[in-house]
Amino acid sequence: MDKTSNTHDLIMKGLLYFALGLLAVVSFFPFYLMIINATRSGVEISRSFSVIPSKYLTENYKQLIKYVNIPRGILNSVIVSGFATLLTVYFSSLTAYGLAFYKFKANKIVFGAILAFMMIPGQLSLIGFYQLCTKLHLVNSYIPLIIPAVASPGTVFFLRQYAISTVPTTLIEAARIDGSNELRTFHKIIFPLISPGVATMGIMAFIGNWNSYLLPMIILNKTEKFTLPVMVSTLRSATDLQQNQGATYLAVAISVIPIMLVFAFFSRYIISSISAGAVKE
Amino acid sequence: MRFKKLMAGVLAGTMALSLAACGGGDTDSGSGSADSDNTQAEASADSEDGEDAEETKEYGEDTLVIWTLAKDLETFADHYQEETGKDVEVVVYAPEDYPTKVQTAIMGGESEPDIIVGEPQMLGDMYDNGFFASLDDLGAQDYADKIVDYVWDVGKDKDGVQRAVSYQITPAGIYYRRDIASEVFGTDDPDEVGKLFADYDTIRETAQKLKDAGYRIFASDNEINYFSGDSAWVVDGELNVDQGRLDYMDLVVDLYQNDLTAYCNQWSTPWYQAMAGEVPILTADIQNYADDSVNVWDAEAFEEQTADLEKTSVFAFGLPSWGVLTMRDNVGELSGKWGVCAGPSYGFGGGTFIGISSLSKKQDLAWDFIQYVCFNEDTADWWIETSQGDTVSLLSALDKHADDANDIYGGEKLYSFWLEQAKGIDYSKVTQYDKVIGDAWGAAIGSIKTGEKSKEEAIDYFYDTVQSTYPELTINR
Repeated sequence: MDKTSNTHDLIMKGLLYFALGLLAVVSFFPFYLMIINATRSGVEISRSFSVIPSKYLTENYKQLIKYVNIPRGILNSVIVSGFATLLTVYFSSLTAYGLAFYKFKANKIVFGAILAFMMIPGQLSLIGFYQLCTKLHLVNSYIPLIIPAVASPGTVFFLRQYAISTVPTTLIEAARIDGSNELRTFHKIIFPLISPGVATMGIMAFIGNWNSYLLPMIILNKTEKFTLPVMVSTLRSATDLQQNQGATYLAVAISVIPIMLVFAFFSRYIISSISAGAVKE
Repeated sequence: MRFKKLMAGVLAGTMALSLAACGGGDTDSGSGSADSDNTQAEASADSEDGEDAEETKEYGEDTLVIWTLAKDLETFADHYQEETGKDVEVVVYAPEDYPTKVQTAIMGGESEPDIIVGEPQMLGDMYDNGFFASLDDLGAQDYADKIVDYVWDVGKDKDGVQRAVSYQITPAGIYYRRDIASEVFGTDDPDEVGKLFADYDTIRETAQKLKDAGYRIFASDNEINYFSGDSAWVVDGELNVDQGRLDYMDLVVDLYQNDLTAYCNQWSTPWYQAMAGEVPILTADIQNYADDSVNVWDAEAFEEQTADLEKTSVFAFGLPSWGVLTMRDNVGELSGKWGVCAGPSYGFGGGTFIGISSLSKKQDLAWDFIQYVCFNEDTADWWIETSQGDTVSLLSALDKHADDANDIYGGEKLYSFWLEQAKGIDYSKVTQYDKVIGDAWGAAIGSIKTGEKSKEEAIDYFYDTVQSTYPELTINR
């Protein structure tokens, strides 16, 4: 009896690992092709795809730096995405906590409004937004790309649900009785508790900001201020497209590296904090 | 407790998944609403932005700012800067996003760009929205006789005001194999070969003769597309499908159904290979991907998979004048065996048109640049050299190079040929609806030739598409 259930477990585990492994391969394969293509010449790329690296990496790099200033683009993107992500994460969790645990009259209305704003695509107000930025003399600066990240309804919505399900009210009450003020309670007790959710949203916000294309393209008018995606896209304007294909792949491959770093760093928090907690039930 | 941990994990996972699905929407949303919600946040971002403060300074009084979608203009700008010592700043945007960028900026009151550009299909909307300043006020009419007529006309808005001008012309021609022409038709003279493409019926006969001789007239059935616009798509707000359009449709369907082409797709591997020699004759099923046993985008696999197929040489390609450069890079050992002749009608494709932003504060400087790029013979000479064979729009330069023989095309004097073709272009037949309507017509032809729809159904569907895209047009079915 015991033995059969053991083998059963083993088979289930094997199947599970196989399925997960397969998924991992499927997810990684396009990335792998991208990295391989970064080492191939434009002519080779338009002929066929291959899983074996070629030897044009340095040439692609030379081609790439002839057209764009990649380090500058990475720096620009890091500035924009980094600060936008920090703002998103901090203010969204603060808002989410408030909406989840404070009882005040307009709570429902505010939450409803946030939900409603989730439905409006930002592209709609593009021309108006640009006009606003011109009037405020903010065109060509990173402020219109960073500050609006303070209000991100999607993140607030998810974090609110997450906080309700993970944070016990008793904990907040205990903190109050011990004399902690509200902000301190949030910073010292609530924030660590909801940090798996925060890390998830942080990763998503960072990827979203890193890949954001339309808004930076519209707001920024100077080549040296371009963020990475905008910079890479200009490679497509070149007269000889074919020649630039390898360089484009290389640029995209380079631009993925920071995302991977951020993911590797933050995903530790997702896992480690899930086991953190304070209340025994 | 355990349940809670599980829930936490599941929730975190769900968030990740659902947000990944939402994509970047999250970052853009709410951008308009919450600009000054929090002073603390603003301060922190401000200090950050301070790092770049010195670079944020506006361009100097004398710096010309160019927003373009083609690297060509950057080369021109560098040359201009070298020759005149003036400061020029070029910002290049991806071609597909260029209209969005310019539209948002100009409508938002941006005065930074002095020079903006457009391709012919974008120009109509840009004129209507008043993006371009009038060049007439700056004295453009002095140059009216110096530029090829159709280019001058493309640069005019509805009221005949000059708004933009191009440094290049892009008339279409038929590129043909001289050796095959001599063998099958006994002559390789461009004028004589041109007669073989005089009209759609003649093309059909020519195609049949070539097939009987073991060749194919075209690699793809799309080669006469540039010559199909002999009437305007829209006349007085009414959709105009004249007999010529229907004849063109019949011709393409015949070419396809009677095995008269090599069934390549334009820009695919065998299409390029046909410029350099023999290609396997594919089947209709391969061309429209119903049969995927042959990978037309992979040279090695392609060779293997088509080893058993009958091979043929392709007689002709139909491309605009920039095709000279495409062919040059791909003809290989057939260099010198190609020629260029006129097609069944006049046509053109592409071209970058430059103009001055209506909000620019440096119009005189911008006008100086346009004069330098478009109306200066030395610049034209330099560009012909630098671009290795692009065709300029300045008449005096074309005259000067009229006798330049191009060895890849059997020593043909291409500049005088293109000028001749450009003179025939009647721009009054071009409308801002052409791109969408032309694409819809192409789709209709495609569905007829593969037998997916009957001719009536396809044309009906075409009318529906046009009607829904341009409700303001009258359509007489």
